[in-house]
Amino acid sequence: MGPNFGSKYLMNKFFIKKLSIISFIFIPIIFLWHPNWLGFLGVQPYWPLFWLLPWSMMNGSINGLIFGLFLGLILDSLTLNESFTQIPGLIFCGFLFGRIKIHSDFLVGHFRYGLICSFGSFLCGTLYFLQILFRNFSDSNFLMLIPSFKNILAEVFLTGFFAPFICSQLLRIFKFSRSKLQQ
Amino acid sequence: MLGIRRISTNRRWWHKKKNWLFFVIFLFLVYVRISKGAFYKDFYYFISKPFWPGQFQKEIVLNSIDQEYLIKLNLLKKDNLRLRRILSLKESSNDEHISAAVISRKTGSWWRQIILNKGSKDGVEIGNIVIGPGGLLGIVKNTSLFTSSVTLITSPESKLGVWVDRIQTNGLLVGLGDDYPSLILYSEDADIKVGDFVSSSPASTLLPPNIPIGIVQSIDETLKSKKTAKILLLAKPQVIDWVQILEVNI
Repeated sequence: MGPNFGSKYLMNKFFIKKLSIISFIFIPIIFLWHPNWLGFLGVQPYWPLFWLLPWSMMNGSINGLIFGLFLGLILDSLTLNESFTQIPGLIFCGFLFGRIKIHSDFLVGHFRYGLICSFGSFLCGTLYFLQILFRNFSDSNFLMLIPSFKNILAEVFLTGFFAPFICSQLLRIFKFSRSKLQQ
Repeated sequence: MLGIRRISTNRRWWHKKKNWLFFVIFLFLVYVRISKGAFYKDFYYFISKPFWPGQFQKEIVLNSIDQEYLIKLNLLKKDNLRLRRILSLKESSNDEHISAAVISRKTGSWWRQIILNKGSKDGVEIGNIVIGPGGLLGIVKNTSLFTSSVTLITSPESKLGVWVDRIQTNGLLVGLGDDYPSLILYSEDADIKVGDFVSSSPASTLLPPNIPIGIVQSIDETLKSKKTAKILLLAKPQVIDWVQILEVNI
């Protein structure tokens, strides 16, 4: 064993324990990166939900709500739409996803992640759209309806499509990290 | 012995270099014949180029016309600048271009913004306008030390005064969250047509004048004393990698 073994071991342990928080950092990055090849009609899946669902399921409603708020704050700071916010949708989703854990802990199969995330994305999209509609109530709200519906539907479809792949992997990582934490 | 006369090997025709030379020349001439003298004609084209009739005269005339246009353009620019100063409207200084690369691009859904690799360190300020090949892309909304964030004109946050040159009318360009912003003309009888060119308004307080924006793609139905039209943008934010940041002088 080399002299650095102790520190290396501690570092590894630290990374494994904090995997969930480390993966949290990647959400704003992927949100900014906006990989077009994953998109559909120019719309991207709603990335924060992929992290929020496993996190809330593992840690409960209150944690989900708090991290929904954190995510919302970070993502709002990255977007320039100052008058609209993603916080209400994410808080609500965080809270809701936490409740799922309590009711059906082991029933949640891979494909239910897709449905849950689709629903969450629909919720967030609609809340965001309502803000835009409310803000532009005076002038051209009728013009916004069709493109906005297109945006919401594309986002719901994509989020539902990718959720089974990403959420189940993240949940596995979080569980692994927690099991190491309890050791 | 058998009446066969041996011919000395030296006498065979293919042993003579001279014959081969003639053969090669013959082949070349056959090539020239088959190609109908293409080689000669092309060669002639180059050597006769300086002696073509009117060649120099044409160049001289074109050069003079270019110079004349350049001088006229400069005079008009100066005149325009002087008049805009009198009217105290916005002006753009052409010396203050900053080239920047797009490092993040959100051109779908509701968030329509790009992030550039030049920030306050390079002299980018909030309110600077961003143009790409084709025309206007958006306005710098936020700067950090190394980056600047640009609200695209397709964003639902964007509202700009624009000018339809053919009918000499001002309108409002509103981003809708899709690729085609909407032009609103507050006049029921505005004679707008598909194909009309839209540029930044000369009376705008946000933008320098005469920056190309887009072309009218379709006209919606008239609603409540205003006409709306969908605009096809000339600059495509979803594909442009390099942009120019223009400083706007107040």
